[in-house]
Amino acid sequence: MTELAQLSEDQRDCLQELVNVAMGQAGDSLARFLEVFVHLSVPRIKLVASDEVLPEMIQLIGNIDVSAVRQGFYSTSQQVRGEAIVVFSKTSFDELAEIMAYEPDEVNEQSEQELLLDITNILNGACLSGLAEQLGYELNYSPPSLIGTELNVGRLFDKEQLSWSQALLIEINYRLDNESFKCNLLMLMPGESIEVIKQSVDEFLEDL
Amino acid sequence: MAIPLLICDDSAMSRKMVKRSLPPEWDVEVTMAGNGIEGLEAIRSGKGEVVFLDLTMPELDGYGVLESIKTESLKCLVIVISADIQPEAQERVLGLGALAFIKKPINSDKLKTTLKEYGLLD
Repeated sequence: MTELAQLSEDQRDCLQELVNVAMGQAGDSLARFLEVFVHLSVPRIKLVASDEVLPEMIQLIGNIDVSAVRQGFYSTSQQVRGEAIVVFSKTSFDELAEIMAYEPDEVNEQSEQELLLDITNILNGACLSGLAEQLGYELNYSPPSLIGTELNVGRLFDKEQLSWSQALLIEINYRLDNESFKCNLLMLMPGESIEVIKQSVDEFLEDL
Repeated sequence: MAIPLLICDDSAMSRKMVKRSLPPEWDVEVTMAGNGIEGLEAIRSGKGEVVFLDLTMPELDGYGVLESIKTESLKCLVIVISADIQPEAQERVLGLGALAFIKKPINSDKLKTTLKEYGLLD
C-alpha cells in the first residue's frame, strides 16, 4: 500500500482559484448556449481514495437518478490524465428541452442524448482548457460518451474496475435561476497526475 | 490620508494577487476578508471605503454583500472582481450598486484604468 498523497492548504486554495477562473469561462459558454443566467458556486477540491469516490459523489449530488456523460483527457506534454464526468439530474432534460425551445415531436431519446453530449462538450471544452491553459498544459480529449440515463449516482462507476488507488476530485456545479436545471462537472485525475498537478501548482505559486 | 480598502475573496491566493496588483502610488490601508460575512463586518467598522469584492464565496456571496450594503445604506464604493464573466453577472452587480466589474485573473493595468476612471486614483 503506497502512502496517500495530500494537498497543502496553499495548494488546495490555489487549485480552487484556478478552477474558479476556468469554471467562470465554462459558465459563460453555457449561458450563451442556453441564453440564460447560470449560477456558479465555489468549486470543491479533494483527494479521494478509490473506495471514497462513490460515497463522495452521492454526498455532492444526492442519492438520485441521473444521466451522465464521460470524457477522457490527457496531456502529451505533461504526465496528466483523467476523466471529466458531467452529471445531469434526471428532471433536467425536460427543462432543457423547454429552454432550447424544442418542439414536442423533437423530444426523444436521441435528441436528449445529443443535447447532453453538446452540453458536455461546451462545459468540458471551456473548463478543462481554461484550467490547462493556466497550468501550461496542452490537453487532448477523447470524444464524450454517454454513461447512462436514469442511472443511480451510486452506479456511475464500477468500483472494482477503477485502476487507481487515489485521485484528485474537482467538483463544480452549474444551476439555473429557478433550479430547473442543474448539472455537476466532476474531474477525476488519478495516480501520478496528482504529483504533476501539485508540482505545477507549486510553480504557479512561486511565480506569484 | 490612506483610503481604507477591503479585499473580500475566499481565496488567499486571489487576495494576494489583487493586493499585488494595486498601483504602488495608491495610498491605501488594506484589510482582508475571507467571505461575505467577514467582509460586511469590515465595511460596517469603516475598513472598507473602497471594496474589491469577489462573487462566488461561501457563507455569503458577493451578491448578498451588495444587497446588504444597499439595505443597510453602508457607505462604500464596490468594485467586483470575479471569474463569473457572464454579461448578466456584470449587469446584476451593477444593478445592485457596484461601481465597476473587473474579470479574473486580475490585470494591474486594467485595475489602474478603472481606479482612474472613477476618480479613485489621480
